Amino acid sequence: MRFWGVRLASIAGGIGLAVLIHWIALSQLSAFGVRLVVLAGLYVTLAVSLNLINGITGQFSIGHAAFYQVGAYAAGLFTVKVFSSQPLTFMLWVPVAMIVGAVVASAAGLLVGLPSLRLRGDYLAIVTLGFGEIIRILSQNLKVVGAASGMAIEPKMLSQSPMVWLCWLLAIGSIALCRNLLQTAHGLSFLAVREDEIASSAMGINVTRTKVAAFVLGSALAGAAGGFYAHYEGFLIPTQFGMEVSFIILTMVVLGGSGSITGSVIAAVALSALPELLRNIKTIPLATVIGLTIGVIAAVSLGRRWSEQLHGPVRDRVLKLSGLTGLCLGGGYLLGLGLRALPALSEATTDGNRIRMVIFAGTLVLLMLVRPQGVLGHREFGLGKWLREPAR
Amino acid sequence: MKPLLSMKGATIRFGGLVAVKEVTFDIRPGDLFGLIGPNGAGKTTCFNLITGMYQVSSGEILFGEDCINGARKLPPNKICELGIARTFQNIRLFGALSALENVVIGGFLRSRSSLFSALTLMPPAIKDTRALEAKAMEYLKVMDLEEDAHTRARDLPYGKQRRLEIARAMATNPKLILLDEPAAGMNPQESEQLSRTVRRIRDDYGKTVLLIEHDMRFVMNLCERIVVLDHGEEIAFGGPDDIRNNPKVIEAYLGEPV
Ligand SMILES: Nc1ncnc2c1ncn2[C@@H]1O[C@H](COP(=O)(O)OP(=O)(O)O)[C@@H](O)[C@H]1O
Ligand SMILES: [Mg+2]
Repeated sequence: MRFWGVRLASIAGGIGLAVLIHWIALSQLSAFGVRLVVLAGLYVTLAVSLNLINGITGQFSIGHAAFYQVGAYAAGLFTVKVFSSQPLTFMLWVPVAMIVGAVVASAAGLLVGLPSLRLRGDYLAIVTLGFGEIIRILSQNLKVVGAASGMAIEPKMLSQSPMVWLCWLLAIGSIALCRNLLQTAHGLSFLAVREDEIASSAMGINVTRTKVAAFVLGSALAGAAGGFYAHYEGFLIPTQFGMEVSFIILTMVVLGGSGSITGSVIAAVALSALPELLRNIKTIPLATVIGLTIGVIAAVSLGRRWSEQLHGPVRDRVLKLSGLTGLCLGGGYLLGLGLRALPALSEATTDGNRIRMVIFAGTLVLLMLVRPQGVLGHREFGLGKWLREPAR
Repeated sequence: MKPLLSMKGATIRFGGLVAVKEVTFDIRPGDLFGLIGPNGAGKTTCFNLITGMYQVSSGEILFGEDCINGARKLPPNKICELGIARTFQNIRLFGALSALENVVIGGFLRSRSSLFSALTLMPPAIKDTRALEAKAMEYLKVMDLEEDAHTRARDLPYGKQRRLEIARAMATNPKLILLDEPAAGMNPQESEQLSRTVRRIRDDYGKTVLLIEHDMRFVMNLCERIVVLDHGEEIAFGGPDDIRNNPKVIEAYLGEPV
């Protein structure tokens, strides 16, 4: 009885949180803000599901966007073909279409995973990369999904009143599934495969089956996210799902700390907004960019040398390093102001869209230099102790 | 008595090297069995054959009635399920996980709850996990590690890591347990203690033990029957006294009588 009480309360809590996000987004934010909230929800799902494959089970999939795309196209096509001949309302239909996306994407995951996961780790990277390309080329050439000119998902369902709660329910559900798993012996067997495949098999774990299960589940969640995206955008074109998207999802997992669900969530929320925000900044003085770049380089090189000599509590070290970073960035900004005095740089500007991938890649490289285990390492956020010690 | 494990002419070649050649011996239920010989003799390779890491080039290995390596080769996880568990000479713990979690994973193969019930955290998965944790704690106690239950495996000192590997192997509830140099790197007291524990594993838990060890005092005190390998070939078989006084063994391995 107590069990079901707690269980119902936590399910209600999850739904409540999704509804709260929905309400805040729609009542307080502009259309652009709502878009950011939706994208954040989708990227949380994508990052958490890739973290299940890469971080928790220790595989190296680098084509996660392909499963997102398969789910989006499958769900979209399903709606285009079937919706008009059935009685469900939009609100009930979208979840059904998302399930279709999840099922088709997990079938694709099985197809890709079964042969490649039997083999050594690096094969998966190659095969997922190749699969991404195949899906991209197929979607650019298949008439039934509109080829390169794209496919409109009719009727429009979410473009007027987006079901923000639904995409966040998916995100929260994905987090819950992974957290649940890690609280059981079953979840430990996934971690065991990450830690040592030979020892795992010697302890009776079916390594291939474990890897395939993680892969199929991760693909299914990405497919469900794709299904939502299809109905949210109302239009699908192949360029929405390039390598770039796979790379962003992978960045989120690695930045957050492979294996840490919390880390994936934080990185997904932070990074999903970044490209959209940068896209909107139209004129950045080139001098400022140069100044800040120099500031960052200074912060990293000084910080790296300094952090080796620092001891004491984590909090003190973080404070000192933050101080250093602030000083360097402030210095860099001032340098940028100074550089503007130069005639060649006084007028030159660039736009956010042009430098966003540079910033992305730069952030990743810097972080890997400073903290190879990712922001959170293997830590998780717990309600009891904030940031549990790195038990795994 | 019917043998628990039979090596029947087990042979494996790596390119031109015959690492294990026509090795034939029987282990009976309840044996404390030793496998000794100089470095590179093929002892660890024998373990890898028994646990299904390698396929025999010829010959076969039977566990009870079942052929586990030969005409048919079972994968390592199936062999473990049948009841053979092992430790590794070069320790292979799940380093980022706690000692307790390592042992829980050892017991996981006997768990019957589904992946679905784990993902949804349903009562079967929770009950299984709690039961495995309780059992794991017991094995940690046997190996005198209960105080380190929540320490990360890779942070444990070497001797404790070796004992943790034994606890993890015990958790799979094997009939036969293979220990690859369990006393390596231990001081005399630790190795004395370990010797008592291994005997307990046989006497109190009814496990059959096959162990590889270079510490001759350890082997001679503990093992009742011993096979000696040299260059992949079996050069002697018998009780500790036979082995101690066997001229071939003295020449190939022991150097002088012990
Ligand atoms: N996977 C392998 N590939 C090639 N040679 C191997 C392999 N495994 C073991 N050997 C060789 O087999 C011989 C026996 O090794 P091993 O069984 O580890 O000896 P030990 O008796 O010291 O445990 C050694 O010469 C080793 O180099
Ligand atoms: Mg060896």
